Amino acid sequence: MLELLGISVLALAALSAVFLVALVLKRSRLAREEQRRETLEERVRPFALALVDGEAVELPELSTEERAMLAEAIGRLSRNLTGDARGRIGRYFAGTSAYAAEIAALRGRRVWRRATAAYRLGDMACPEAVPELLRALEDRDADVRAAAARSLGRLGRPEAAEPLVRVLVDGTVPRALAFRAVLDLGPAALRALRGLARADDPDERAEAAELLGWLGDAADDALLIEAVGDPSAEVRAKAAGALGRLASADGAEALTEALGDRIYFVRLQAARALGQVGERAAVPRLLRQAREDRFEAARAAAQAVARVDPAALLDAAAEPDAGPHLHEAADLLRV
Amino acid sequence: MSELSPSPLVLVADDDPDILDLVRYRLERSGYEVATARDGLEAVRLAGELAPSLAVLDVMMPSLNGFEVTRRLREDPATREIPVILLTARAQESDVQEGFDAGADDYIRKPFSPRELSARVQAVLGRR
Amino acid sequence: MTVLYDLAVVIAALSLAYFAALNLVYLVFTAIAWRSLARHLRARGHAADDEVFASPVTPPVSVLVPAYDEEPTIVQSVHSLLALRYPEHEVIVVNDGSRDGTLERLQDAFDLVPVRKALRVVIPTAAIRGVYVSRRNRRLWVVDKVNGGKADALNAGVNASRYPYILAIDADAILEEDSLLRVVRPIVASPDLVVATGGIVRIANGCRIDHGRVVDVRLPTSRLAILQVLEYFRAFLIGRVGWSHMNALLIVSGAFGLFRRSLVEAVGGYSSETVGEDIELVVRLHRHLRERDEAYRIEFVPDPVCWTEAPESMGQLSRQRRRWHRGLGETLWRHRRVAGNGRYGVLGLAAVPYFLIFEFFGPIFEVLGIPVVLGWWLLGDLSGVYLAGFLVIALLVGVVLSLAALTLEEHSFRRHRDGRDIARLVRFSVLENLGYRQLLSFWRFLAFYDLLRGRRAWGEMSRKGFRTVPEAPLPPA
Repeated sequence: MLELLGISVLALAALSAVFLVALVLKRSRLAREEQRRETLEERVRPFALALVDGEAVELPELSTEERAMLAEAIGRLSRNLTGDARGRIGRYFAGTSAYAAEIAALRGRRVWRRATAAYRLGDMACPEAVPELLRALEDRDADVRAAAARSLGRLGRPEAAEPLVRVLVDGTVPRALAFRAVLDLGPAALRALRGLARADDPDERAEAAELLGWLGDAADDALLIEAVGDPSAEVRAKAAGALGRLASADGAEALTEALGDRIYFVRLQAARALGQVGERAAVPRLLRQAREDRFEAARAAAQAVARVDPAALLDAAAEPDAGPHLHEAADLLRV
Repeated sequence: MSELSPSPLVLVADDDPDILDLVRYRLERSGYEVATARDGLEAVRLAGELAPSLAVLDVMMPSLNGFEVTRRLREDPATREIPVILLTARAQESDVQEGFDAGADDYIRKPFSPRELSARVQAVLGRR
Repeated sequence: MTVLYDLAVVIAALSLAYFAALNLVYLVFTAIAWRSLARHLRARGHAADDEVFASPVTPPVSVLVPAYDEEPTIVQSVHSLLALRYPEHEVIVVNDGSRDGTLERLQDAFDLVPVRKALRVVIPTAAIRGVYVSRRNRRLWVVDKVNGGKADALNAGVNASRYPYILAIDADAILEEDSLLRVVRPIVASPDLVVATGGIVRIANGCRIDHGRVVDVRLPTSRLAILQVLEYFRAFLIGRVGWSHMNALLIVSGAFGLFRRSLVEAVGGYSSETVGEDIELVVRLHRHLRERDEAYRIEFVPDPVCWTEAPESMGQLSRQRRRWHRGLGETLWRHRRVAGNGRYGVLGLAAVPYFLIFEFFGPIFEVLGIPVVLGWWLLGDLSGVYLAGFLVIALLVGVVLSLAALTLEEHSFRRHRDGRDIARLVRFSVLENLGYRQLLSFWRFLAFYDLLRGRRAWGEMSRKGFRTVPEAPLPPA
């Protein structure tokens, strides 16, 4: 028993010492590292800025450390940039060992390193990385897939459009990220989206409809108007939302009809869209929805009337049977 | 005012030092003088002291955001005429509306192109 | 006499067993926390926060701020909440019948106007006197109501929320600019699965605060506060991570918790019948979902998200700890069916029994254990060597755990820039075992007395604020 006690005391004392030493060492090491990084960064930053801006710059002899720091500095700046600056960054990184290292790491065994590589490749702006990143979109690990999706969005190549919408639909990449990535592709994604709007899978049609609301234009009106009559409620709702975002006057009729949809979130989206489109003819029906429908759908209708015809809203709100949503919308108008 | 001087002064405000560097680098090479601020309050103060020809403001800044700064500039007769270009990373269009309501002249999304920003600066200054 | 002696032996033996088991659990949790934090740190290299911020489908959040007599700090708090870096959020302050000028301050600072806001009355609350929106910023709403307590105020906030997620915070909590972005990450990754998240809460005493943000992290001067800094390190860095892994996280801090609104409504909102309304809600959420066999997760995000003010006087601290312990007891009693019940999985078989035995009944062993062992020694039946051995082990285990937490903190976050602060914390790692911990156990022990007496009141905490020193009594439960 005494020996047990003795051993425990020694073990615990040793453990304390270990932590204490780790604490001190870690702290001083981190402090020194930070200091070194700061000096390095200061030295390479002017070159990074010049390179990114397009100024012809003579790079002096750089040590490996400095070169690595330069790569990191440019990568960080890259996150804020778009357009010609990104082209310059891509040309800088092409063929460098830094780029090759990340490509190699993307195929590596350590999961977190694959994810970091996928992320950094997006900053390096080399379009040659796209096939590798497309492969990484199907990686076993969720973080790797997410980073790959993000980077594919940043690289902006049209061949990434369909795969990105697919992962959006499948849910293998967090929705917020996949959605942002497709938005980043911009017009490059339109062809794929227009094709997907006619897919067999209603989930695909719904995502395509929603994204067309962000990326599309008047040419997509007809497609979306048709989608407002889709058998799937999700598609109808998203298409209605998209017509609203595009402020499509042509869609007003279909949207007004959608106010009579069976499903409340379709009615909600239709109401909101009518507010964005500015369809005065729909006001009487919107007022009725604001008085009678479910909470969220009624609220959306009231807010829509506020946008389209403030005078009508104020009149309706003064009536005895107006209901809470018209009152709220009217008060907010007067704010 | 500064439009007549050879190098117009542009005030750039952002809490991200990378953005400040990128914008300053491009604007200086496009022939502008640049003053920088790290937060909203400093931006308002410098605008009053230095009377810049134009202000480029990030929206998400500590102490005072870009909209607030714009509003304050418009409220003060000394700074009322300073054109404002807002920078933001957010996706909400309600932001764009709020920006224009606050009195901004233009709106640029992040990630952005510094050269394009410079072109907008030139356009806005040319309009005035 | 022998009966008493036998009783003493039993108590001593149980105390030793309790002590050994507890610290074993702590050490296991420490190991789990190390690995988890290491992984979390590596993930920072590819966290696409910018993209989440810029994404239109990142879930919007309603921030709920229950406020009772918060006049000195409320305007500053609300400014910093409106300035949170997040794609879409609203701030709903619920003025819970403050007797001071909380509402007036808000009205002046934000130009509030009354609006007949349509409220979903899913959860019954005390009467609402009025709802206001800010002319300056339409994302700020103020619900003015008759006093009903913190739980009631939160429920009113839920009724007024527009968005699918609610962030329940303390009115005096200081958030970081990215707090909401960080704590929403698990939900962004798995929106169908993750129903609630919480983050690391830190102590603000001693820190320099500018415009509602912590700009310089310093140790407080008050010894009592420093001890709490250490305690919070241990509690958050070690305790929460382990339970979160097993999906049995019972504690999502009332100072900062993100919840799926529809679920909170489905279980009937916060309960006014306990002073521990935050943990009671979480346990109820677990129960609700497990009883329906629904797949879900409640996760802890090992990132600092929130700073709170810790009590600096013995009186306030003791009242706070007694209240927390009482809240724990009330919650465990209310959900006693879960204990040892396999139907509730890890929750029933591990988490609730652990909290019952080690957290709730723990103070009994802690308070009685030492006198009994001492008495044993005094009676001559325990050799001095053994006694010394036990005491040294007790001290060392405490030191090891605190050092582990400190090292984890340094390794992960490095918020304390001044090395002297760390040195002080190391010294206090030893000192805290020489009285502070025992004092905490004693106060928690007193909570039993409170529970038996059926006490209800909340007690007081004079708030130093971040400038002045007003009285700010907490609402009665």
